[in-house]
Amino acid sequence: MDKQMDLLQGTLDMLILKAVSLGPLHGYGVLLRIQQISKDRLEIQQGSLYPALYRLEHQGWIASEWGESENKRRAKYYHLTAAGKRRLQTESQKWNRMAELIEGILGTTAEEV
Amino acid sequence: MRIWNRIRSWLDATLRRSRVESEMDAELRFHIEAYAEDLVRRGVVHQEAMRRARIEFGGIERAKEECRDARGVTFLETLFQDLRFGLRMLRKSPGFTAVAIITLALGIGANTAIFTVVNGVLLRPMPFPEAHRLFLVSLAARVGPLGWAPGVSDRDYLAFRDQDQTFERIASFTIGTTANMTGAGDPAQIPVAYVTTEFFPVLRTNPGMGRGFLAGEGEPGKDNVVVLSNELWKERFSADSEVLGKTIRLDGVSRTVIGVMPPGFAFPDAKVWIPLAIRIDEHNSFTRPVVGRLKPGVAPQQAQAELETFSENLPLGPGENKRDRMPQIIPLKDLLVANIRPSLLVFAGAVAFVLLIACANVANLFLARAAGRGQEMAVRSSLGAARWRLVRQLLVESTLVSLAGGAAGILLAFWGVRGLTALAPAGKVPRMEMIRIDAWVLAFTFGLSVITGIVFGLAPALQTTRNHARKALSKAGRSVITGHERIRSALTISEIALSLVLLTGAGLMLESFLRLRAVNPGFWPRSVMTMTVDLPDSTYRGARQMQAFHTRTLEELSRLPGVLVAGAVDWIPLGGELTMGTFQVEGGRRPRGFMVDKPCISPGYFKAMGIQLLLGREFTERDNATAPGVVVVSQSVARTLWPDADPVGKRISMEDEPKPEDWLTVVGVVEDVKQKGLAKNSDPAIYQPYLQVLSPGFLSHMTFVVRTASRPESVATGMRTVLRDVDKNQPISIASMDSLIATTTAETRFQARLLATFALIALALTMVGIYGVLAYSVAQRTQEIGVRMALGAQSGDVLWMLLRKALVLISAGILMGGAGALALTRLLTKFLFEVKATDLPTFSAVVVFLALSALAACYLPARRAMRVDPMVALRYE
Repeated sequence: MDKQMDLLQGTLDMLILKAVSLGPLHGYGVLLRIQQISKDRLEIQQGSLYPALYRLEHQGWIASEWGESENKRRAKYYHLTAAGKRRLQTESQKWNRMAELIEGILGTTAEEV
Repeated sequence: MRIWNRIRSWLDATLRRSRVESEMDAELRFHIEAYAEDLVRRGVVHQEAMRRARIEFGGIERAKEECRDARGVTFLETLFQDLRFGLRMLRKSPGFTAVAIITLALGIGANTAIFTVVNGVLLRPMPFPEAHRLFLVSLAARVGPLGWAPGVSDRDYLAFRDQDQTFERIASFTIGTTANMTGAGDPAQIPVAYVTTEFFPVLRTNPGMGRGFLAGEGEPGKDNVVVLSNELWKERFSADSEVLGKTIRLDGVSRTVIGVMPPGFAFPDAKVWIPLAIRIDEHNSFTRPVVGRLKPGVAPQQAQAELETFSENLPLGPGENKRDRMPQIIPLKDLLVANIRPSLLVFAGAVAFVLLIACANVANLFLARAAGRGQEMAVRSSLGAARWRLVRQLLVESTLVSLAGGAAGILLAFWGVRGLTALAPAGKVPRMEMIRIDAWVLAFTFGLSVITGIVFGLAPALQTTRNHARKALSKAGRSVITGHERIRSALTISEIALSLVLLTGAGLMLESFLRLRAVNPGFWPRSVMTMTVDLPDSTYRGARQMQAFHTRTLEELSRLPGVLVAGAVDWIPLGGELTMGTFQVEGGRRPRGFMVDKPCISPGYFKAMGIQLLLGREFTERDNATAPGVVVVSQSVARTLWPDADPVGKRISMEDEPKPEDWLTVVGVVEDVKQKGLAKNSDPAIYQPYLQVLSPGFLSHMTFVVRTASRPESVATGMRTVLRDVDKNQPISIASMDSLIATTTAETRFQARLLATFALIALALTMVGIYGVLAYSVAQRTQEIGVRMALGAQSGDVLWMLLRKALVLISAGILMGGAGALALTRLLTKFLFEVKATDLPTFSAVVVFLALSALAACYLPARRAMRVDPMVALRYE
């Protein structure tokens, strides 16, 4: 149970960074964008989004400022910082390497051993 | 950079908390509203959309809490919350809070007071630069006749000084020496120290004015210089800046003032320092303390090793045994504090017990209150508060209480320390001037308070937050915390046990003091006034002059109104001094090792002191220099020398090889007298009339004793006038015999009194504790009692039910405490007089006293239980 949470949490951080890297977003926007990119295949607990945003901001990967939303309301917009950009890069590389590795392992057939 | 970012976000969150909070609110509200709008757009009704948005979002408060956590603000943040909440809770129950604070203030205050003394006397460094490098060099045996006295004989000192490699310098000095000072105000007996010229350089303290001693000063002819203490300079010379070069007279010898020490310098408890040269004397060898400053980087162990080697290679003196020597390198402070350390540590232990009892009491209070808060805790924990969070909340509350207790304790300690120093036996507590409440003491009290808060708070906190949530909620308000009962009983048993240990210690000390006071000293001290003189040999140049002084003083004293009889003795009984010596018996042999005290007395002394004459006659005026030599012996001398014969008429001599005229005839036998102290054995004595004593050494120090018709103090003025008439240069030292005896028992009395005070505080706290537990138990069981009574139980049955519980607690506590007391009172052995540390009567008396007090504490709860009205009790159901 706990292990799964950890994994999810790490992934969520990466997804948020990716979402924000495409342009400043408010919290709700982050949610929508992730759903949009994932073509609604990924469900995100709304409640867990904000702690993640606060944590990323606290760590300096993203920064926020208050702005106006599409429907003329005050909203807090998050954007990627320089450090966040680097972080996203290394995280993506790590993820890709890991994915390749796992894929390689899972794709192994009996003949190849 | 990122660190900075974190700090800024943390600061933001901490300092601008309300803004951050409102922004967080706004952000989450925006989220939910935006989502709801989307839902409305998809065709959901507005209200339904809002509801769904909220539900899908999940726990908003929890998300907020996690957001706060994410920014790392929670610890301080919630601590502040806990503090505010804690204060509010404590304010809501002021009675409870006050009782808890007062209890802890007693415990912490007693500990602070004792720690203040321990800190000042034992812990604070000596007031010298780099005092940690100052050590005493000692070759003396650890236990001497007058307690522990470190020292090195002159011969060994010179030898050690020549070959020593580990010390920068060493210096020898005297302790406890006094001199009669004249030439600066009234004559007075003042403490002086003879010190070698290296003394001030070893301590690295130079006179604030003038100079210290030069090498070679102290040799005969060059030793007539002195250095004054700052205090003496202010007292006697009104801080005269022209004091250098002036002369003062010490024991009649003129000495020139060459320096004044800086304020506060009084080591070793002296007001004047006189140079001393160490020379080897054919006949005498003095043993004096020696202080040395270790070379930088040299460990005391190295010095110890060097001294041991030195001691091994040292030839033995005549009559000296290897075992008489004990090479030791000791911290300098021990010279002053070694004798008081054990009793201070006993006091420290006693107050620690008091604090433990206070803790147990307050823990009980908190447990009782916790029962009422079980529901609060259950509600909070079902709303998602983690257990450690609740525990922390409760610990914050208990620490708040203990900190308040500590603050009040410091006030108590302030008075306590004053009381302690005022009651402490005069002259028995060294470094008294170092005792004060300083930063270390405050830090100690703060630390102690925090620890106390956690110690007494932990059990109630853990107990209260045990996972009872469902039970507590379902029982709706009725407390169900049964585990408390066991903890409370355990706490009460420990309180009783701790009290018993303290009471036993106090009981033993008290018994010891009473026995000491009941000791028959061999004389009758009531209505006796004493006056002591020290005749300087510079003015009184021989036995004849001194005898003339004594004769005239005695005549004048006996003529005073109110004086029944006057007498004199060189060293007064219980004064702590005695002159032991050998003698020869005519036609017989002195048993090996049998030495006697040789007081030199006047006619009338036995009557004035109330020493009973058993046989023969006392001395009279006719036993003078021209009459045949006579002595009076004490009973034990008579018994030892002539067990079967009449001692009167037998002859002895004080000379080793008596000539015919040296034989002295025994004319009387008197009772034995305690010379060294009430706790010591009586000493066999051979008395000589002062007119027949030729050595000025036995005549210069003399104590006059007068037996008075009424209160002894009534003749004090008259005695003073007599002394001034006879010799106006004599300092006046007058005291009643009773008060002299009181000073010899002062230490024991002080220890007994202090331990008794702590034990009574402990007992009072314990009684409160027992009362609390039983009262709580009665309150809890009101319904049960009601039911029982409704079913026919008599009030006697109810009483027995309660008493049974009390008796179990009390007997368990007494068993445990008895075992603890047996183990611990052994530490008191060296303070006890004629009482064994396991004295059965004392133990029994203390147990009975404690049991009765404990039962008395049961009275109120028992009465309440017996008056329970079944109707009222049952109506609560």
